[in-house]
Order: sequence, then structure tokens, then C-alpha cells
Amino acid sequence: MNLGDRGSNALDRWETQMALVRKALPIKRGLVGYISEQDVPGAEYGYWDTETEFILTQYALAPLILVKGPHAEWNVAVLDYKNLALWQEMYPNQYDIKTIKGQMRIFHKLSNP
Amino acid sequence: MTFLSFIVFLPPIFLGTALIHYLWPEKTATAFFLKASLGIGFGLGLNSILYFLVLQVAPGRIGRISLLTLQIIILASLLTITLLRARKQKWSQVYLPTLSRLQWGMISITLLALFISTLVFINTINARPQGEYDAWSIWNRAARFIYRDPENWRATLSPDLEQFTHADYPLLIPLNVASGWEVLGNETLRLPMAQSALFIFSIIILMFSALSFTRTIGQASLATVLLLASSIFIVTGTNMTADIPVAYFIFASSILMYLFFLHKNAALLVLSGFMAGLAGWTKNEGLLLIAVGPFALIMASPKNIKRSLLYYLAGLAIPLMIIFFLKSLTPTNDLLNNDRNSLIAKITDLSRYWEVLKAFAKSFFNSSVIFLFIYTAIMHNHLTPDSKKGGFALFALLLLQLLGYFVVFVITPNDLAWQLSTSMDRLILQVTPLLLFLCFSISSDPETIFS
Repeated sequence: MNLGDRGSNALDRWETQMALVRKALPIKRGLVGYISEQDVPGAEYGYWDTETEFILTQYALAPLILVKGPHAEWNVAVLDYKNLALWQEMYPNQYDIKTIKGQMRIFHKLSNP
Repeated sequence: MTFLSFIVFLPPIFLGTALIHYLWPEKTATAFFLKASLGIGFGLGLNSILYFLVLQVAPGRIGRISLLTLQIIILASLLTITLLRARKQKWSQVYLPTLSRLQWGMISITLLALFISTLVFINTINARPQGEYDAWSIWNRAARFIYRDPENWRATLSPDLEQFTHADYPLLIPLNVASGWEVLGNETLRLPMAQSALFIFSIIILMFSALSFTRTIGQASLATVLLLASSIFIVTGTNMTADIPVAYFIFASSILMYLFFLHKNAALLVLSGFMAGLAGWTKNEGLLLIAVGPFALIMASPKNIKRSLLYYLAGLAIPLMIIFFLKSLTPTNDLLNNDRNSLIAKITDLSRYWEVLKAFAKSFFNSSVIFLFIYTAIMHNHLTPDSKKGGFALFALLLLQLLGYFVVFVITPNDLAWQLSTSMDRLILQVTPLLLFLCFSISSDPETIFS
């Protein structure tokens, strides 16, 4: 069962956490990258779970346009500590990382990866 | 907030009803309910178009005229004109019909079914205030884009948005939600809930009032109870997606076309065209109705077709222009992502036709529908020539709409099995009110049988 089918409590929790991310982002329109386990080689994930989390994040961050991958100056990441460490190994010193709450983070690109 | 969410939609609903009364000044009690149920969708459609036009000329909120004020001014002007016009007319026709015991009994059963359905609606929608997956990922997402940044509203149509968020979808539902949020000053979920309630209950009232206006109270009660008894009708209404609204517009446009054949009032055909346009402004399936509507009209009435077609197209013109403008801004729909070779391969693949036919048979020809067909065949009523023409128009609309769905399934670039499993039931639901009305407009009414 994916997040979208778990009922409104799960949706509301995600919304509440993403509201903090939206507030913390310095841009209010335009493109924002989205980083999930799908972008971390070797990470284990459920396909529909990450897809639904992506769509739900898009819903929460509107009118920002979310694109998959680290393709923008500002990126929203949903990664646990293990995958975050893997990510940092892949892209050392390229992103300023700010943890908002739990697995929700903001990656600010410092240079072109 | 629930009460306010309904209040926000009252000015456009009154405006829609007043406009319908202005164009079709029929003064009977049953016509009043019919016009009120048509006025709900008509008003909500007008509201979305007006807000869309406001976004084009003055997207920023500061210094812009309020949409609500504009609607109240138009409504007041229209009511003044209508009252002035009605001064010299007789109102003796306006009376409540005297009901027999059979009719009272059938109305009581209908009201009981409506009461139970209302409880189911309230219970289900409160358990899922965000609605189904499509509700928040497509429709309320678009509403948020428009409400949160009206000056940059076109971002909701961006090709950079993920495919499953469907940036190409029409905007009637999100625009009504965004305009309501603008009036209320916050993003309450009660507003999309209220819009869903208005559409689902207006289909129910439309079914009852259209059949009580054209046939009898007993016949209207039977069809309404059957509609309410449909297992997915009310629950789909709580999904807060566009399937019930598009079903409403398909139904409303068809009924207005049917009424045109009965009453020969050209205004009804103009309204039918406008409602068909609103179906296309609600969901892409509604575009099919725009395409098949003129053909149904031609098939039902080959004589004097030029005049009829002109009125129908006149009604269609405004929503169609708005749709063309919107489509010039949106990315291509995923169903149209076929190249020439792939399209030819799909058209010439007979196994696809068979697969689609099997899915149609499974979903459409279930035991309830077969029972309905047998009932209609046994209870077949003697029809007047005008009723026959109207009935034929309804049949042509239904058949062509289903044929359109069939073709889309055959040529879909998506995985056919996935497409069929995710869409078929919703598509059948979109034409269910029309199918029920068609059957009950043909069959004998209980008053005649039991008299």
C-alpha cells in the first residue's frame, strides 16, 4: 500500500512537514529539484512509495515546479541518514545541506556537480 | 467553514439559474426544479470562465474587481430585467401538482434513499478530506498553483511538471476552487468538498426534475432511486475528481437537447451546446461530447439541420474558444503521444479491439444494466414523434460517446491493460445518468401501469 492510499492522516503529516520545507526555501516560484532514494545508487526503495512521495511533495510545494534529480540550484531531498551519507560520498562539498525535519532536507547547490 | 464554502458558490448558482430562466421562461413547479439543477452546473461553469478571463486581464489581486461583486451586479441586472418582463405575464401556471397516493409513496422512498445517500456522502468525504489520489495530485494541485500565485498561474500548465500531475487537463474544477479560496481567504478543503456535493446532488435533482417534467413523478422517482442505488455513484462523488462533474455536463447537455426536440425552443439547444462546451472545459472526455454532439443532432433531426446546428454551435462557441486558448498553452496530452507508425500499428492490431471489447462487455453489460435493458424492452411505452426524435438523439449521444471511448482505448500509447483497468469504470459512470434517463424516458411510467 503506498502513501496515497494510507488515508488522510499520512497525507496531512507529509503536508505539515513539507509546509516547513516550503517556508524554508528562499524561492517562491520556478523549478526545484527533488532528490529521493531513486537518485542514490544502491539504495533500497519501493517504487510507488517514492513516486507518491514525489507527487505529494509537488502538491505541498505548489506553485514551485518539482523536477526529479538534483537539477536546480535549490533541491528538496527526502533521504534517511544512511542514504544521505551515500549521497555525500558521491557529491562531496557540492551542496549546502539543511535538515528541516526528519528525512526532509534542502540541498543548495554550491557548484556544478 | 462548510457553510461559507457553500455560500461562496451561491451567487454563480443564482446567476446560472436566472440566465436559464431568462432564456427559457417556462413557469411550472417541475420546470423550476429542472432549471435550478441546470443552474448549478451552468453557474459553476460561468464562474470558472469568468475567473479564467479575470486571470488573463488582471492576474494580480490588488486593484482588481472582485469576481463575487461582478457576479452579484450581473445577477441583480438580470433579475431586474426578468421581473420587468414578467410583470405583464400570467403566473397562474405556477402551482404544485396534486399527487396521488402512489406518487406520495414513491416520493417518500426517493427521499429516504436520498437521505441515506447524503449520510454516505458526508461520512465518506469526512473520512477522506483530501479526496482520492487524482484529487490532490491533479485538481487541487492546479487550484493551489492558481490561488497561491495568480500572477504566475500559467505555471500550472508547465511541461516541466511530472506527467502524472497532468498539466494539460482543463481548469473548471481548479478555477472554481481557487476563486472560492480567494473569496474565503484561505485554502480550506471544505471548498472542493462543497463543489463535489453540488455536482453530485445536482445530477440527482436533474434526474428527478427532468423526468417529472417530461414524464411523471413516479417515473422520476424510479430512475432517481436506481441512480442512488448504483454502488459507485455517491462514493465517486466523494473522490473530489472531475468524473462526476463531467458526468453532470454530459447529462445536462443531453437533457437540454432532448427538451429541444420536445419543446422546439432554440434557447434549449444553445444551452445544450454551452453545457457540452463546459464538459470539455471540465475533463478531456468532455471534448468527445463536443465532437459527437453535432453528429447526434444531425442523426436525430436531418430536416432543418442547418438552423438547429447553428443554435447548438452558437452555445458551444464561448467555451470552445476558451478551451482552444487553454490548449494552445498546455503540453500535449499523454494519450496523443503517438507517432504515425505506432498509431497505424495500433489501429491495425485486431487483438486490441478484442481486448477493449471484452473490457467494455465486462464493465458495461453487467447484470444491473442487462436488467435495465430487459425492463426497458418489456415496459416500452408508445412515444410521440417528438419524444422519438429526442430519444434517438439521446441514444446517438450515448452510442457515439461510448464509441469515442472505445477508439481512445484502441489507440492509447499507454499500456492497454493498465489504461483499461484504471479508466473503464469511471468512463462508464460518466454516461450512467444519461443511460438511465434514456431508459426511463422510453419505458412506461408506474402511474399508467397501476391506473
